[in-house]
Amino acid sequence: MISREMIQIFTGFLGSFGFAIMFNIRGKKLAAAAFGGFISWTLFLLLGFVTESEPIRYFIVSVLISAYSEIMARILKTPTTTFIITSLIALIPGGSLYYTMSNAFRSDLSSFINNGIHTIQLAVALALGVVAVTAFTKLLYRFLGIKRH
Amino acid sequence: MREYFNCAMDIGEQMLICGAEVHRVEDSMERMCSALGALRTDVFIITSSMVVTVHTADGVLTQTRRITGIGTDIEQLHRLNALSRKICAVKMTAQEITADFNEIKNSKKYPFWIEVVSYIVIAGSFTLFFGGGMIEALVSMIIGGVLRFLVHFSDKAELNKIFSKFICSLVVSFAAFAATKIGLISDIDNIIIGNIMLLIPGVGLTNALRDLLTGDSIAGLLRIIEAVLTALAIAAGYFLFICLIGGSTI
Repeated sequence: MISREMIQIFTGFLGSFGFAIMFNIRGKKLAAAAFGGFISWTLFLLLGFVTESEPIRYFIVSVLISAYSEIMARILKTPTTTFIITSLIALIPGGSLYYTMSNAFRSDLSSFINNGIHTIQLAVALALGVVAVTAFTKLLYRFLGIKRH
Repeated sequence: MREYFNCAMDIGEQMLICGAEVHRVEDSMERMCSALGALRTDVFIITSSMVVTVHTADGVLTQTRRITGIGTDIEQLHRLNALSRKICAVKMTAQEITADFNEIKNSKKYPFWIEVVSYIVIAGSFTLFFGGGMIEALVSMIIGGVLRFLVHFSDKAELNKIFSKFICSLVVSFAAFAATKIGLISDIDNIIIGNIMLLIPGVGLTNALRDLLTGDSIAGLLRIIEAVLTALAIAAGYFLFICLIGGSTI
């Protein structure tokens, strides 16, 4: 039986792969970027067992994926952005952004506000996770005395 | 030093064009300039302009570069980054740097048909992802393929980016609506969402928030405004579509 979750994980992976190609990522980096898309949604679903709150799950996934990106970036000697932007694609709140705008044009004010706030929460949770890891990595490198370029 | 400085500016400019964050470019510029012999480097970058001044033993040099179009080309960014590291690690002549730089600038991209396939895959994937059915995914894939051609033509015509998103969004909405009219599908939401993922300034917004939260406030704000305007253009295309089909029929 193919569940909705399995479809989401697989299509999330395919989506990341597609975007990786769109951004001209090649070779091993392409594989690592697409794999990031696979684990990001898997983690998001698994965290559903721990907490219901989507922004919190977004934040945790974002932190974990950023850590993954930092590690892959060091291994493959490439900017971290490569893996962050592609791996987090499935978490970009495209769906809730669409419903926000759809509600606005249907003059459904309360749904518009709910969806709008939800979209902003998700986007901020995502960005905060990335920034937290970037800041932490910088601190870690300074602490370990590694010059990073 | 003048030639070296020019090379460093070229590299920094190209990094920005390929979609690097401001912080990364500022960092690379400082490292490169000091490796090339600058005593002091002052870098100021916002997404549309970069200003760099270096103090050297024989005087002060300043250059400004205006950056117009920003895209995302990770392969080029990767190689530019590698070049900037190389400059810091080994002594290179200005000619060598220029030769490397030109080679990177012409580095290969995926052929057009692969890009079309990637659009098709992305549109289909996200329609399924957000809960669409098989037939909806197929319709979405067709629209996604058409979208790539639309983007191609609007690039060729050097259409204003925001206006181009508006047109794309309008076409997507109409195509999805047409598919419901001929009875292929019953619900347009998932098809539009699948294709909107292709238009949404996801990278722009992520980079914007990163710039903003890491302290490059001006660059971050500019990028946020750009992302919001793009999102509004997409919404406007959808809105025009709803007006044209006569309001609340969907």
